[in-house]
Amino acid sequence: MNIAVLIKMVPDTESKLEVNAGELSDQNFKYMVNPYDEFAVEQAVQFKEAEGGKVTLLSLFSEDNSIDTDLRKMLAIGADEIIVLRQNGYKGDKPLANAKILSDAIKELNVDLVLCGIQGIDYYQAATGTMVAQMLNMPNISGVTSLEYNAGILKAKRQIEGGLQTVETATPAVVTCQKDMNKVRFPALKDIMMSKRKPFENKNVENIDSNDISTSESSLPPARDGGEIIEGETTEEKVDKLIEKLKMEAKVI
Amino acid sequence: MSNVLIIGEIDGTEIKNISQQVAAVAAGMGEVTGLVMGSGISEAGMKLAAGKIIMADDSSLENYDPVKYASIASHVAKENDIQTILLGATSMGKDLGPRVAAELNCGYLGDCLEASSEGFVRPNFAGKVLAKSKPSGTVVATIRNNAYPAGEAWSGSVENYSGSITDSTLNTTDVENVGSGTVELTEAAIVVSGGRGLENAENYDSMIRPLAESMGAAAGASRAIVDAGWVSHSHQVGQTGKTVAPELYLAIGISGAIQHLGGMSGSKCIAAINKDPDAPIFKVADYGIVGDLFEILPILKSKF
Ligand SMILES: Cc1cc2nc3c(=O)[nH]c(=O)nc-3n(C[C@H](O)[C@H](O)[C@H](O)COP(=O)(O)OP(=O)(O)OC[C@H]3O[C@@H](n4cnc5c(N)ncnc54)[C@H](O)[C@@H]3O)c2cc1C
Repeated sequence: MNIAVLIKMVPDTESKLEVNAGELSDQNFKYMVNPYDEFAVEQAVQFKEAEGGKVTLLSLFSEDNSIDTDLRKMLAIGADEIIVLRQNGYKGDKPLANAKILSDAIKELNVDLVLCGIQGIDYYQAATGTMVAQMLNMPNISGVTSLEYNAGILKAKRQIEGGLQTVETATPAVVTCQKDMNKVRFPALKDIMMSKRKPFENKNVENIDSNDISTSESSLPPARDGGEIIEGETTEEKVDKLIEKLKMEAKVI
Repeated sequence: MSNVLIIGEIDGTEIKNISQQVAAVAAGMGEVTGLVMGSGISEAGMKLAAGKIIMADDSSLENYDPVKYASIASHVAKENDIQTILLGATSMGKDLGPRVAAELNCGYLGDCLEASSEGFVRPNFAGKVLAKSKPSGTVVATIRNNAYPAGEAWSGSVENYSGSITDSTLNTTDVENVGSGTVELTEAAIVVSGGRGLENAENYDSMIRPLAESMGAAAGASRAIVDAGWVSHSHQVGQTGKTVAPELYLAIGISGAIQHLGGMSGSKCIAAINKDPDAPIFKVADYGIVGDLFEILPILKSKF
């Protein structure tokens, strides 16, 4: 089974978010592999171990190569190769354009399965995987917490309100991965060493026009002030006061 | 004014509350057409708050299927000269929305906090940045639950969907209810969440779940205890979990790491119980009790 895994490099969760004149500054961002995409890599490698085939990692990013070390760690998990699509002026908030570029690249790979994280933890659109599926004319199953493959049939459980939906499909298909899907392995030293010799290809891609909606203004939400620490002689008294305040002041219970 | 299409979701014989919220948003934006897809949905579908309702009622549509549903929605959007397509930001809406946008080759805005003819506001970085936009072309947007009050049920004119239904290889074989407590986390008015301060899974089950149940709340969790395997990921609140915005968020034995705050700082009221007076959760909490949760929870539970 040949699998493509889409990897988004996202600002790490400790990155300072600064807005200047309505624009989010990406000057000081440090990037990491989107955590949801790691589940996709692990799943792809497990399928490869069981079924044979090849796992290709595909990432669309700018020409900045400070990300290469982190990206290479995904090879140590067991993927076979990386293709980084380098785009001058890459933006992570253009799902339609980015999905088009990714799906064009996937067409050249001849894969049975495309895996990616359910969403990027930068812009949270949860759109790319599903859009890629549409553009490749494949079915998509999103928010999947467990995925099995047997004789050409994928069986996925996806999170829905209050439960799980089990969906089956023949391949090819696009599956977006939710957190409970698997435990991402810690690569052994030997795998880390081996990963340094695996193919890491950079390909330039052009900017394309798209109907993506650009942000006209970014802002930081008003900071929440720390509230009131409830004092009292006894625990009972504190609890009573809390309930009183939730009822009478905040009116939320 | 634009032509707005809302895609309604059914729950048994009712329209989901989130869909009526979306209907109310749409009413302020232009001429509203509703689309409801499913099997045996005519009674519930009628209740969608829209002037004209298109019903795609077919046994092959019983379970949500992105391939079939997206092709129907795109077909209806084109036939009715739609500029704005709105859905609830549910497990279906968040999956269907982008597929429809790709099919119509138009812009997509997910999980919007605000939507009106003035523009849209959606959260980036788990709500740590708010992004405003004013689309000029066609747009598909999903609207977050509880962002707007629901519209009243009323029945407009009803039309049956007459286009074709695309073939799909997808096949739903089971729908199981595993629930986090009885109330869905993202729909709950009250969320009671527990963290590592609870020390083990048994304490979560014997203290957080019963408290949540007696308060009519959903039970949530920090990532630390999801990773420890005490509860499933469906309970996780935060940057890599669910985003919730209930009336009351009660954080128990949770430190308030920035990634956790990302998923709940939009709550109307936050209350925290933690033994560490310097825990960051108190910086965002409206009310806090500094103390031992093992002492506080039994008393709190006895009040509900
Ligand atoms: C990429 C990334 C993504 C992440 N995503 C998320 C996410 O989505 N959601 C999330 O929650 N976290 C997330 N995290 C993890 C986050 O950084 C924290 O590690 C986690 O939230 C901590 O969980 P906690 O508050 O339960 O545990 P701790 O930080 O260990 O806090 C336990 C708290 O319990 C208190 N306590 C202990 N005993 C008692 C007692 N007897 N009575 C009262 N209080 C007590 C302590 O004072 C402490 O404040 C993410 C981290 C990374 C790096």
